Amino acid sequence: MSEDREEARLRSVHQEKYMTFRSGNEYFGLKIQYVSEIIPFQAITAIPETEEYIKGLINLRGKILPVIDVRLRFMQDPFDYNDRTCIIIITVRGTMVGLVVEEIAEVVEIEDDNILPPPTIMRGDRVQNKYVYGIGRVGDTVKLLIDPDKLLHDEDSSTAELANDTGEEDEREV
Amino acid sequence: MAEEFNVEGMLDMYLFENGQLLEQLQETVLEQKDADCFDEDTINEIFRTMHTIKGSSGIMMFDNVTAISHKLEDVFYYLRESHPQNVVHEALVEHVLQVVDFITGEMDKIQDGSPVDGDPADIIAELDRFLDEIKSGAVKEGKELPKENVNEEPKHFYIAPVANSASHFYKIYITFFPDTDMANVHAYKTVYALKEFAEDLLYEPEDLISDDSSIGTLLEDGFRILLQAQCTEADIRNVIKTGYDIEKVDIYECKAEEFLQGFDFGEHQDHPQIDLKSSVEEIEARAQAEQESEEKKEPEKPKMAPGDFVIQSKSPGKPKKLAKDKPKNEKAAFISVNVQKMDQLMDLIGELVISESLVLQNPDLRVPGLNLANFNKAASEMAKIATDLQNVIMSMRMVPLTNLFQKMNRIVFDVSRKLGKDIEFEMIGEHTEVDKNISEKISDPLMHLVRNAVDHGIETNEERAASNKQEKGKVTLSAKTEAGKVWIIVTDNGKGLDRAKILAKAKKQGLLDPDRAESSYEDKEVFQFITLPGFSTNEQVTEYSGRGVGMDVVVQNIQSIGGTLEIESTAGEGSSMILKIPLTLAIIDGIVMETGTTSFVVETSFIKQFVRVTKDMMIHEPTGEEYVMIRDECYPVLRIGDWYGLEDYHSEVEEGMMLLFEVEGNTICLFVDKLIGKQEIVVKPIPPYIKKVKGISGCTQLGDGSIALILDPAGLID
Repeated sequence: MSEDREEARLRSVHQEKYMTFRSGNEYFGLKIQYVSEIIPFQAITAIPETEEYIKGLINLRGKILPVIDVRLRFMQDPFDYNDRTCIIIITVRGTMVGLVVEEIAEVVEIEDDNILPPPTIMRGDRVQNKYVYGIGRVGDTVKLLIDPDKLLHDEDSSTAELANDTGEEDEREV
Repeated sequence: MAEEFNVEGMLDMYLFENGQLLEQLQETVLEQKDADCFDEDTINEIFRTMHTIKGSSGIMMFDNVTAISHKLEDVFYYLRESHPQNVVHEALVEHVLQVVDFITGEMDKIQDGSPVDGDPADIIAELDRFLDEIKSGAVKEGKELPKENVNEEPKHFYIAPVANSASHFYKIYITFFPDTDMANVHAYKTVYALKEFAEDLLYEPEDLISDDSSIGTLLEDGFRILLQAQCTEADIRNVIKTGYDIEKVDIYECKAEEFLQGFDFGEHQDHPQIDLKSSVEEIEARAQAEQESEEKKEPEKPKMAPGDFVIQSKSPGKPKKLAKDKPKNEKAAFISVNVQKMDQLMDLIGELVISESLVLQNPDLRVPGLNLANFNKAASEMAKIATDLQNVIMSMRMVPLTNLFQKMNRIVFDVSRKLGKDIEFEMIGEHTEVDKNISEKISDPLMHLVRNAVDHGIETNEERAASNKQEKGKVTLSAKTEAGKVWIIVTDNGKGLDRAKILAKAKKQGLLDPDRAESSYEDKEVFQFITLPGFSTNEQVTEYSGRGVGMDVVVQNIQSIGGTLEIESTAGEGSSMILKIPLTLAIIDGIVMETGTTSFVVETSFIKQFVRVTKDMMIHEPTGEEYVMIRDECYPVLRIGDWYGLEDYHSEVEEGMMLLFEVEGNTICLFVDKLIGKQEIVVKPIPPYIKKVKGISGCTQLGDGSIALILDPAGLID
């Protein structure tokens, strides 16, 4: 009954969908299964004495969620929020968090063959590298693929660990 | 969850019912622990409880529980039958509690799904010794020993006089195939099936489940049943069908007299009886009468023990029935609800309250010239219902402190015995209700305080005698509701806290301000030292206290639910630990205010007053600290905007508002931009992803959907 389905399954092993967004000059990609929804920007209640990139709390239909400014998280310059600013709600291992991004791009499919390990040559740029586990090629452009778990939690993992971690990435997600 | 319930239904029921029985048993035992002996009712109750537990554990195949409850049942059987005078009551109480602990422990294991592997051998051996002691005492006194209450031994039976002319009497012989497995279970099933319509029923061998040797008897001699019922032979055959297990069923109708004679086989004098119509008391009363008359007629017959095998029909050993035997503990009808569902309902009602204010305070309504008379009428009706709904769900979550207090009773008993102190325990206001979550959270701190009271608070008997204290050592646990908080007070009439000792220790640990004279410390301040980590003046570490961890944990736990601990003590007369805890955690009455662009909420009960101040009331220290003089009192000022580094807040005191807080005996002034209003708010936790911020205990959603942060004054003071 399931030749089609079988084929689809095989295909899905090879390529996955990524939600892409722009932050600064780069485009980033996030595996689609982490994304719960995308909401227009809304007022954020600041929380004192937290990390700079945690912008505060939003109220999503009665649920109180923390919001992270992705640009600040990536140590880029802050930007002014405007009507293109969006909040991507992601769920990572039970934690729901909103990501403030400058602009939502599109959903793309990237085949595994087109995902390259992060360039280790850029040794000077480690800080940014640690959230990026791969570079996805889509046509002429590249998307930096983000590990959302690291985006949320890690503070001090080094690039060395990252190289090992990428292999496990597929197993971890459900 | 629901599925799990279905599959595990029987086990759940077993745990639930026996849990209740044990709780009740423990309560009864502790009630009478100081008496000279148990009264008759109690002995009967304990006996019945153990019997029920034995029965249900047998069915569930928890052999160790069956064994131990059987042993305790034996002891109480003996007590009931021969009224020995030489029972050491304290030892008996201890034994009962031991058994209760053991069974509770095993039931916890069952609940966790771990193997039920507790070994009751020690306790059983102890009980045996105990029983022997009583018995040997009884022999010395020249008393005749009653028959042993042994499972294997069939008992005398008598017939309940409930027969009427429509009743038929049958003798039923069931022969099992010799290779039948678990013939006893099959026999048991048969008995249960017959009970459906039986007026009276006896069978042999009578102990089918807990005694494995019955299997052999069943296979060899067959299963013999005496049945009194208003049914025909065919009805019986319908119930007992021959099949893969039963080879042959012989049914003979007989006369009532024959029936009364019992089985005409064997020389047993006793058989179990199952009475289906009467309550336990009636049966016992009858048994008593029967026993008396029988004793007159046939003095050589040994005493009988009918009650032992009294099983009520259809619901053998349902605790509800037993509970009914004790009118003072009348239980209302309860259903158990999954806590998750309750929480969900709670959340939903919280949402409802918020959306209600979203509607009622909708900016669209503020159009000038709008006639809202009817709207307002409907709105106030709705608001009333919403408030009622909130109250109901809150009250559903409320549980009385009774169980918790009972637990403390047990602790006082255990600890005081171990320490050899003679201590009385009094409970006041145990019916006070608190939120279930709170009740769970104060259990540990309270236990600690009670232990402390028994261990360090109350002197040893010798010390008390030496200091001329007449009355017994006494620990009082009381609860009351006051000013929206529950006060739980642990009082002892012991030696009180030793101010000098605490001060000395505090000095040693460098806690004292060197510039301050020791005498200038108020008692309250001194006593607060004992709540600091690592502070214990007890030189000796005992099993119960003295390690210096404890009081600080107590205080932490209490603070985590928004409570406070106050200590009062008079040297030589005793001390009181006063816990003040909120009634509930979920919905609080709060004052909403604004600073900069951020909204804050403070629980109303913390706020003493709001004051507008002028510049000339401010006092500035060179170090940057600020004070404000209000009616000749000077209070430290905390500008919330500064404290949290907010933007765009008012810096001129005339533009803002001062809030006077009182927390833990300190008063501070909080400076905010403006007040918004008073509101009932639903407390939500700050997402755990964000690390804890000092002074903020949670957040909430305001009427317009925006988020306000809940200030925790205790956190601000640190």
